[in-house]
Amino acid sequence: MIPLRALIRKELAVLFTSPVAYLTLAMVGVVTALVFFDHLRVYNQTLFVWASTTMGGFETDTIPDYINLRTLVFLPVMEQLALMFIGLVPLVTMRVFSEERARGTDELLATTQLSPNQIVAGKFLVAYLFVAIMLAVSFVYPATSIVTAGLGLKHLVAVYVGLFTLGIGIASIGLVCSAWTTSQLVAAVSAYAVAFVVYDFSWATAFVRDRESLASLLDAISIHPRFGGFAEGLVIGADVAYFAALALVCFGLARVSLDLERVR
Amino acid sequence: MRELGLVGAIAIAAGVGSYYVTGEFGRFGQVNVALGGLALALYAVRALGRMRRLGGTPVARRMLTTRAALLVAVVAAAVALERGAARLDLRWDWTLDRRHELSPASRDALAALPDGLVATLYYDAEDPRIRGTRLLLESFATSGRVQVRERVLDDALEDLDRFGISSSNSVLLEVDDRWELVGRPSEGTVWEALERLRALERRTVVYYARGAGEGNLLRSDALGFSGLAAALQTEGYRVRDLVMAATDAIPQDAAALLAIAPERPWREESVALVDGYLAGGGGLVALLEPGRETGLEPLLERWGFETPDAVVVDPASGPIEGGAPGVNPLAHAYDRDHPITKPLDANRMAFFLGARPVRAARKPEPEDRLSVLVHSSPRAWLSRDFERIARGLPPQDRDGAPDDRHPLASAGRYPRGEREARVVVFGDSRFASNGHLRALFNLDLILNSVNWVAQRAEGRLTRRPNILTEIQQPLTPQESLRMFYGVGLLIPELLLMAAAIAWLRQRSA
Amino acid sequence: MATDDPTRERRGCRIQARELTRRFGDHVALDALSLDVAPGEAFGLLGANGAGKTTFIRLVTGYLVPTTGEVTIDGLSPGGAPQAVHARIGYVAETSRIYPELRVRGFLRFAGGVRGLAGDVLHEAVERTLERFSLRDVAGRMVGNLSKGYQQRVSLAQGFLHDPPLVIVDEPSSGLDPLQQGEVRAVLGAAGGERTVLLCTHDLAEARELTQRVAVLRAGRLVALGRTEEVLGGDPLALFREDGAP
Repeated sequence: MIPLRALIRKELAVLFTSPVAYLTLAMVGVVTALVFFDHLRVYNQTLFVWASTTMGGFETDTIPDYINLRTLVFLPVMEQLALMFIGLVPLVTMRVFSEERARGTDELLATTQLSPNQIVAGKFLVAYLFVAIMLAVSFVYPATSIVTAGLGLKHLVAVYVGLFTLGIGIASIGLVCSAWTTSQLVAAVSAYAVAFVVYDFSWATAFVRDRESLASLLDAISIHPRFGGFAEGLVIGADVAYFAALALVCFGLARVSLDLERVR
Repeated sequence: MRELGLVGAIAIAAGVGSYYVTGEFGRFGQVNVALGGLALALYAVRALGRMRRLGGTPVARRMLTTRAALLVAVVAAAVALERGAARLDLRWDWTLDRRHELSPASRDALAALPDGLVATLYYDAEDPRIRGTRLLLESFATSGRVQVRERVLDDALEDLDRFGISSSNSVLLEVDDRWELVGRPSEGTVWEALERLRALERRTVVYYARGAGEGNLLRSDALGFSGLAAALQTEGYRVRDLVMAATDAIPQDAAALLAIAPERPWREESVALVDGYLAGGGGLVALLEPGRETGLEPLLERWGFETPDAVVVDPASGPIEGGAPGVNPLAHAYDRDHPITKPLDANRMAFFLGARPVRAARKPEPEDRLSVLVHSSPRAWLSRDFERIARGLPPQDRDGAPDDRHPLASAGRYPRGEREARVVVFGDSRFASNGHLRALFNLDLILNSVNWVAQRAEGRLTRRPNILTEIQQPLTPQESLRMFYGVGLLIPELLLMAAAIAWLRQRSA
Repeated sequence: MATDDPTRERRGCRIQARELTRRFGDHVALDALSLDVAPGEAFGLLGANGAGKTTFIRLVTGYLVPTTGEVTIDGLSPGGAPQAVHARIGYVAETSRIYPELRVRGFLRFAGGVRGLAGDVLHEAVERTLERFSLRDVAGRMVGNLSKGYQQRVSLAQGFLHDPPLVIVDEPSSGLDPLQQGEVRAVLGAAGGERTVLLCTHDLAEARELTQRVAVLRAGRLVALGRTEEVLGGDPLALFREDGAP
């Protein structure tokens, strides 16, 4: 465990001595704030328009039930956060393996007490930790408003567990793409391509509508539908297992890439 | 060749990305994905060829074979993990109102219906509420007694006419030749529809007293009790009013009498009527209010309850609904043996809005049984500072009043020959008003009380699903702006400062 | 370091290569190479760029798998017992194979950590190494902001940090100016000590100064092997040329 600990410490130091990590986090903060407050503004306006049109104030049943904080602010913001992850996470993961290769420091790592499994695990863990920090930055807005507005802390936690597992899924994809190339550009672009394709196979619905088994298979391997339960405050074991399985497969692929280096 | 792979990846990212941006997978997306896919396929063929060359020696072949086997094993393990978890069907409902957990009442309602119940969700693909409704119907489907179907509104015009479906996110429940339409699906509304399908015995009548300013079961604003009337009807009661001053007997078909906080004291004749009714094995649910003389107090005392005129102030509850801290107590200390409160527990709280204590003081007869149903925390005390409390201010008459657990509701059963009288007394009435009936577990507390007093089977004393009223209160522009400056801009600003420091230190170190 | 006292007890690892071949596609990088490096020996591997020196080193460290043949360190195969082999190795790759974002002390702590050192042992090893490689003055600076000579010194320091019985050094003075080359050689000479050193270089002066025996590779084949002064005694450049002509 000592070598793994040293690797994790190094990865964190490399990440946080460069301004890129802070800029990414700042971007998360700004985008979340803008998205959140924009939704809040639209919601407030809609609500006031309804309240004044019906002259019923904010009494129950005078305003359609879909105009509520949960449906019009919280859930769409969480959806956009999930999409933002696809945009930002590959920018963080792209360098993790490919930069080591490009610099030749992978050779240094390969001649230490670190096993290939530990190398991959260390890098995966640090990427996951960064995802968690990204979430922490974005946590504040929904937490302060939604908890006071009565959504419930546990529901909020469920959503963030969902966002975290989803972030893990996307980070894992980004890490595999980084592991199979020496170029950060290729790593990022291929991560975007893979993540876009598997995020929600509903883009392919028109082509598989007649083939039910294929459609349900695509649905089962899509990332986005797995987030739905969390967003609704329901933690489903199968969804957690899905993201764990995705991480496992990506771990395996990244691990094999290290071995292929040795016989190339 | 690597260029081909990169260009293919960019084309696919752009093609599918266009779908997320525009919401449709049009010609642009299709052409990009097709060409990108072709480029990647060519790249993959070349890459595989290279891989085959890698395996030219026994050592490399052995390594490639074992790694391929490892990958297959990992994928198999991943699939097994997900499928295994799906089979276990583990779910944790972390919503405030446990909206995904079927309540005992829903399960009972499903069990009581004949097989073949079909729930059809009519929806529009763009409707964001569908996801929640799907999860809800999934919870019902896991009971094994409901078959769930879905239909897109545009494909089901005939059904729209036939069943009067007017909007997306409607659920139609059908069993045999009966059907019920649920317009705003939540567990509560679906349960009510199930109850209607179940066609409960609608024989018993609950009377509510009128004529002395009692709570009105026809009034539908926040202070009225129309919600309670609707809930009682769903439970299978007919609800009728009874003008106490104009009647000379409680009707024979009364399963229970509701007396909701009369504003003027009842006449003695009215009290005597109720006394006689109880002596004959009747049932009374009395809801009192602090600072209000109802005329019922002597009657209740004869049946064993002491109701001193004071407000229970429970510092364990913070300020709620604009009241002074503690005067609107959250109560969770139930009598877990009493049938009314057995389905509730510390996590299923009830919520009162200024309650007077209701003590189960002394039994009229040795075989009678009195119980405290729910009481405050041990830190509560009694105040008579009604004036400040009414203005939302903290009471100032503590003056060494001791901490104690004060009962907020009590119940009694009184065997009289072959019959048994039952009485439940609450120190508050507003907890059952429209404004607060659906808050926390107030509905269960009052309905279970009526069912118990009406001597319904204990199976009817249960926990019902909440019919959630979504939070529609706005955050004021001032609040929003405060948050925006407080956290919306502060956190990115701090992070940018950290980035600047990291950059400078990196350059100079 | 380039002393040879047969009476002294030898410490270090033995490297044995038997018919070691490595291909990259159709290109043969190393062709049936057989050689022994004795424990405690300072051994030079010479050859022009692309002769197969780095490939040999990568086969020794286990970073690459041989196409045919085998190489062992103290009888252990890098593929079969990687942890045991890596525990014996200190590896100094060509310049710039370091993390420029780390500070010198942080980099050395990392290098010690991934080799299993922790706590006081790590602390002492890092402080000792900072002293030994004259890095104390730059211990708090970012590796990327140092001169090339210092960067190579840092790279050497990490290879010696855990006091391994075998140090493999690949082109230690490549890309450095003459002054920096001298500094690096001095550091390397002083740090060698009683261990096996496998030095891979195309710099004849470096080989003369730092090694006892050398092997010369040309296009992946072994063309000369022997004591340094003997092999490099005549016209050593001829050994590097494809046609072998003087």
